[in-house]
Amino acid sequence: MARVVLQRISKSYPGVKALDDIDLVIETGEFFTLLGPSGCGKTTLLRTIAGFNRHDSGHVLIGGRNVDDVPAYRRDIGMVYQDYAIFPHLSVSDNVAFGLKTRSRPRPEIAERVARALDLVQLGGHAKRLPHELSGGQQQRVALARAMVINPQILLMDEPLSNLDAKLRIELRDDIRALQRSLGITTIYVTHDQEEALVISDRICVMQGGRVHQVASPQNLYARPATVFVASFVGTMNVLADCQVGPGGALSLGRRPCVLSSLAGRARVTLAIRPEEVILPDAVEQADAISLDGVIDRVTFAGREAFYRIGCGDGLAILAHVHRPSERRLAAAGDTIRVALPISRLHAFDPADGSRIDLGRSDPER
Amino acid sequence: MKLRLDIWTGVLVVTVAVAAVLLIWPLSGIFWASFIDNSTGDVTLANYARALGHPFYQTALINSLIVGFGGMLGATLLGIPLAVLTTRYVIFGRDLLSTLAVLALVSPPFIGAYAWIMMLGQNGFLRAPLAEIGIAVPSIYGFFGIILVFSLKFYPFVYLLTASGLGTISASVEEAAEGLGAGTWRRFFTVTLPLVFPAVSSGALLAFVLSIADFGTPSIVGGRVRVLATTTYNLYTSELGGNPGLGSATSIVLIVVSMTVVALQRWAVRRRNVAGALIRKPVPVRLRPLRSAAAHGLCYAIVLISSLPSLVVIYTSFRRTSGPVFQSGFGFDSYVRILREVPHVIGNSFNYSLIAVLLIVMLGTLVGYILARRETAVAGALDSLLLIPYIVPGVVMGLAFVVVFNVPPLELTGTATIIVLMLFIRRLPYAVRASASMLKQIKGNIEEAAISLGASPGHAFLRITMPLMLPGIVAGALMSFITAINELSSSLILYVGRTMTMPVRIYLSVLDGEFGTAAALSTILLATTGIAVYAVFWLSGRKESAFV
Repeated sequence: MARVVLQRISKSYPGVKALDDIDLVIETGEFFTLLGPSGCGKTTLLRTIAGFNRHDSGHVLIGGRNVDDVPAYRRDIGMVYQDYAIFPHLSVSDNVAFGLKTRSRPRPEIAERVARALDLVQLGGHAKRLPHELSGGQQQRVALARAMVINPQILLMDEPLSNLDAKLRIELRDDIRALQRSLGITTIYVTHDQEEALVISDRICVMQGGRVHQVASPQNLYARPATVFVASFVGTMNVLADCQVGPGGALSLGRRPCVLSSLAGRARVTLAIRPEEVILPDAVEQADAISLDGVIDRVTFAGREAFYRIGCGDGLAILAHVHRPSERRLAAAGDTIRVALPISRLHAFDPADGSRIDLGRSDPER
Repeated sequence: MKLRLDIWTGVLVVTVAVAAVLLIWPLSGIFWASFIDNSTGDVTLANYARALGHPFYQTALINSLIVGFGGMLGATLLGIPLAVLTTRYVIFGRDLLSTLAVLALVSPPFIGAYAWIMMLGQNGFLRAPLAEIGIAVPSIYGFFGIILVFSLKFYPFVYLLTASGLGTISASVEEAAEGLGAGTWRRFFTVTLPLVFPAVSSGALLAFVLSIADFGTPSIVGGRVRVLATTTYNLYTSELGGNPGLGSATSIVLIVVSMTVVALQRWAVRRRNVAGALIRKPVPVRLRPLRSAAAHGLCYAIVLISSLPSLVVIYTSFRRTSGPVFQSGFGFDSYVRILREVPHVIGNSFNYSLIAVLLIVMLGTLVGYILARRETAVAGALDSLLLIPYIVPGVVMGLAFVVVFNVPPLELTGTATIIVLMLFIRRLPYAVRASASMLKQIKGNIEEAAISLGASPGHAFLRITMPLMLPGIVAGALMSFITAINELSSSLILYVGRTMTMPVRIYLSVLDGEFGTAAALSTILLATTGIAVYAVFWLSGRKESAFV
């Protein structure tokens, strides 16, 4: 268990900046997730921490010790891979014992710890099996036991659930989280699945193009995205790109003008709102909202919820969330509809650099 | 970035040194010699002027191209139907077919050449019966014989590569074509064939390169047809003042022809690597009785005809002889003769091949690892360097060795060492490729996982990677052994009486008309090869593709 500090880490491959000046602190015992689309640098960063990539500049500190020149096998890490990386010629218990053997632990201790680790991942009865006799989910459990049994300073996981089917993914996800909590092991987890990241993490670091966009708790990440990219990558977001702003922050959007005083002095702004914040016509008409007329071009019913996609002209499409759709009469494609975007629920971003503009309203966490 | 000094850096240095001494040095020696005037020692282009301008050598070049493309075409025409029929339709005895094809592939071509002389030569035992049923076979000596031997010898390359290529086309793709209204033939020519084109063309390429490099076949059945390989050999060995400068020039021409065709094939398959990740294995279709009989007939005819030479050789080896003359009846006369006259030849063949294979396995495995796991500039350069032995014919390689190793500091001509080194460098790339491709199937992160658990890189290789590679390494070693023990052309140039090997003795016996001893030695070679093939099958879980 250790704190991990990354100081100004950069790494370039020919023609690409894979990691661009990354500064991060991962606290002891924390479940920390690196989230981003493929090619964002999250796996490169994880492998840099593991010691499989050498960074061009900057420092990696694990437990206060600079490990820049420490090879991977001396870093005391546990690693779990997307494709399990189980040793196919060794039995389940030999796989789990591998790290203890390299640490020259006495035989009885190895046997005892392996048995305990296998029990922990519910594979107690499979110790003598060979990997090909196990399912994908079981193999990943072996990998998990193998990484945890050595009691590493940090546990690194590279998309460990991506190769599993949906049901198993959720099951193992919850198991990983529970195990991590009970062992208190510092964990760095890589995924491209934002929902998985929200569910499993203490904190999330959203990356794109080798840069960190935001580091925040799942709740904060969802409520206050720091950039347009985070806003659209985490959860679903309606983005009204590059809108014109009049004098004093007047928006010329919708049926009647409305004013956002914090935008005064700007020429343009990118606005965003979550589908669940879009107000449908049966709600009270609010004064403090952008009001739009549109035509529904698609209705999606998914049981617990439904969505209207509404074309509002000028290529603008708004996705609106319908609460309790089974209890109401749903509109049909082709119907005209009026929606309201409450000012208090809007996110605003600078169109030039995508950074968040504070609209000066109170937030739940403040 | 810090230079990482570990065991792999050491291996890299050793490999580069080996390649420099055994590849670059000899080949640059022959390259240099091609610009030297024999009598005056001046630098000159006269050798090339003659090699390309004189009708005698022009004819040899044209003949090489004729037998090269002829062998390639024949191999393709036999290989593709066999591959398609055995993978797409129910053919009984598929394993038998592929085993026989592999055996035909690994037996040396010159054995095939003289076996065909025994069958279809002037006094061949098949000539009269065929004439009786009205088939007039043209003379076996000349283009017909050479191309016949090459086609029947090299078609397994096309067959095996195409068959494994066909296995990687998802059944859904062909079904989709059918669903869109394409009939059997249309589907084959517009979808299936283009998809396996890379595999077909690499098989065809191998057939071409090996055909123009082969020395034994044209010199045994060539008659008056001279090709570049035989011409080059004669230029060096002619007792009446050979011409090394000119021989070097014809060698370079031969290499350039090979390289051009290799480049053409690479160009043709560029952007063609379309292997899909998702594969639904095609299920062989059962044909209607009449068609099925025709398909079986075709498959078995191809494979059995290509096995005929081996059967003839084995049969001949047990005929009674009195001196070089065959008597009626059977006996072990030929075997007794070789044991009495040339026992050391058998020992030599085994010793040289085994030592070479040992060296090949040790270095090949490590180099294969570097090529598969380390993507450095040096590794890339090494990869292309190791392509050289694929395209340099044995005759040329042999001559190149003679050029640089018959003078100090490394005066090796006439020793066993030079023959072992030749076998080693000629076959090393195959072992490297085999070990690299084996490694590519073992996911790299398995080793990383071991390292993350505290194993040093060397330890991880020994404990995790090596055990996983072992079957592949042993299969690769057996393959190297098979090709090493059957090597003729370079040994023929490097041998002295003391260091003669079985293929050399067989070749000389055939030239002397001693078919009995040639057959007995060939049978020993075939039996050894057969056992090794069986072992490869056993180790690789019956993968014919291990042989190409």
